[in-house]
Amino acid sequence: MFGIRPRPINRKWWGLVFVLPVVAFFALFSVFPVMFGFYLSLTDYDLLSPPEWVGLENFRNLFTDRLFLTALDNTLVFVAGSTVPVWFASLLAALVFDQAFRGRDILKATFFLPVLPPVVVIAVVWRMLLHPNGIMTWLVGSFRGISEIRWLADTVLAPLSMIVVHDWAVIPFFMMIWLAGLAGISPELREAAHIDGANAVRTFWHIELPQLRGTAVLVAALSTINAFQTFTLQYVLSPDPGGPANSTLVLGLLVLKYGFQYFRMGDAAAVSVVMFAIILAVTAAQLRFNRRAT
Amino acid sequence: MMRTVKATRGRLLLCIAMAVCVIVGVNRAIAEQVIVKMWMHEHPPRIAIDKSIIAAFEQANPDVKIQYEVIPVAEYGTKLLTAFASGAGPDLFNQFSGLVAQYYNARVIAPVDFAAMGYADEAALTSQYLNGFDGARFAGRLYGIPTEVSNWACYANNKIWKEAGLDPGHDFPTTWEALPAIAEKLTQRDANGVPLRRGFDFNWSNRNAVWMTSSTMLHQLGGNIVDEASYKATLDTSAGRRVMQYWADWANRRRLGGPQYTDSRTDFLAGRLAMECSFGIWGVPQMKDAKIDYTVKPAPRFADAVSDNGFDAYAFYMMVNARSPAVTQKAAWKLARSYVDHATDLFTGAGLFVPRKEVMDLPSYKADPTSAVFIEELKKAKFSPRVVGYDQVADTILRGRDRMVQGGEPVADVLPAMNDDMNAILRRERARAEAMAK
Repeated sequence: MFGIRPRPINRKWWGLVFVLPVVAFFALFSVFPVMFGFYLSLTDYDLLSPPEWVGLENFRNLFTDRLFLTALDNTLVFVAGSTVPVWFASLLAALVFDQAFRGRDILKATFFLPVLPPVVVIAVVWRMLLHPNGIMTWLVGSFRGISEIRWLADTVLAPLSMIVVHDWAVIPFFMMIWLAGLAGISPELREAAHIDGANAVRTFWHIELPQLRGTAVLVAALSTINAFQTFTLQYVLSPDPGGPANSTLVLGLLVLKYGFQYFRMGDAAAVSVVMFAIILAVTAAQLRFNRRAT
Repeated sequence: MMRTVKATRGRLLLCIAMAVCVIVGVNRAIAEQVIVKMWMHEHPPRIAIDKSIIAAFEQANPDVKIQYEVIPVAEYGTKLLTAFASGAGPDLFNQFSGLVAQYYNARVIAPVDFAAMGYADEAALTSQYLNGFDGARFAGRLYGIPTEVSNWACYANNKIWKEAGLDPGHDFPTTWEALPAIAEKLTQRDANGVPLRRGFDFNWSNRNAVWMTSSTMLHQLGGNIVDEASYKATLDTSAGRRVMQYWADWANRRRLGGPQYTDSRTDFLAGRLAMECSFGIWGVPQMKDAKIDYTVKPAPRFADAVSDNGFDAYAFYMMVNARSPAVTQKAAWKLARSYVDHATDLFTGAGLFVPRKEVMDLPSYKADPTSAVFIEELKKAKFSPRVVGYDQVADTILRGRDRMVQGGEPVADVLPAMNDDMNAILRRERARAEAMAK
């Protein structure tokens, strides 16, 4: 009207304005704590007095720290037991439930049930089941006349029990991921294989499995990260967190002990940084493997 | 007309002036009011008593306002730590004696201000108590006031003893050496020899219980877990080997119990354990609730004990934040005095015992035969060493116990490693303490 045209709005700036709250929230509650954790790992800090700069001393000490080395060892065993068997068992379950059979949906829903309750609930229930004179002992031991099995009080059985309970709880979750991957495979490929005379095993090996590579990496990455971060199971399932004889002491539990029980927050932060580095390295290796394979 | 307007304006100005005076006065009063932030761990029967003490204190001291907060036991330690870390720690708080050294070492707690509490000197305060201050005394100064002093004794389930043809009044073992035979008589086993009902078992459930029991048995043999003066672990001694061997035999050779079973307190209250030795005088209401007919007896001693002590004593202390302003600290100590002066209410209403004269003179206390057992044991009890790094050292004992009792490793192999680990912890904590002192 007056010959003045409104300045066009720079869409780029508006975009930034809209994402700013989320970015600020993320920076405040995720980036800052992580950075602060890195800083604390370079200090001697008991939470009661101000942190004192010690440089890399906490990391140097970890290499000779018997508790850390035990926890690292236990964590690696737990990761091994909570990943490879889970990948195969969940894939097998997915292949079964990918077939059409009577009562499949009900059975699948039942199979999925362990995923629903929180880990704490699962741990409490299994703690009762694994009582030395409890139901599991009766199931396993009654055939051989054994009336007591120290599921959670034996240095070999306790970590094994943790792995079994963990796998029981997560296999259905990963099965669903595999099922989603299987659903994404074009039916024409299967039909073509069938027409060419391929049996179920050959179809799976040559057609389905290569198509599931992306899903496999996702399952591997998620299960590895999840296993490295294990804490709740060891904290709740064991009557004595970390016991017996530190056989269930994992890195996550060690962070809690160092930070809030032993007044060694600097060491707790150093252990967290090491955990972070390990998880990052393993995940990067898995992604790289996937990229190379494709 | 003009005069009316002037008069109205004058009245208006007067009202404004009065309002300003009131606001300024109120503001000054608020500014002068001291706010004391008080944190206590959760103990439901005590909360109503706490509130009534605080209400009475605020009424008597209108210049002091108390911000009272009760924190669940499981979160208490963590919340205290994070609060101190962020500079938002309470002005007045209570804590378990095992952790007091850590707070003292970090210079977080203030020495007791006897004048603020209304006492002439330390003796005027401590003379009111039988004992209970040792857990909070460092370098000759007192840093806390006990709100609960506790020691354990042994409870026997009369019904189970009677079924086994025994009478706890006469047959209760007075020595650790006599205990296994009595426990065996009270134990019921299945065909495989697995105990279905235990006669006696130690409280293996957590580090505090394991520390208390091992420390008690070591004291009887003239030993100790840690030598407080040299700050060195003294577990790998003949006394230490004997105590640990006793535990290992209990679980493995005699198969009378072990850490794999339900914890001893739970089983005793459920009527599945004939005797238990980790309840304090505060266990009496629990026995009554569980409808258990019980007898309380002193802890067994070693036959060749050099010290006639029962279980170690521990306490909860009320302490004041050394980083709070001086005026707040004074108000906090004044409140602490008010609080501990209600010792009889805390005992009768919440079962929290402190060995003060007025508590021990209560008719209900005197009438209960268990009181005499606990107080006689308390007179002989020692406070566990006040060391920085208590949780780490106690965890080391717990893990060593696992190896010997559950893993079946020889005591002679495990103890030196335990001792080394404990010394490494103590060296580190001592170095930190010395750095703090500088």
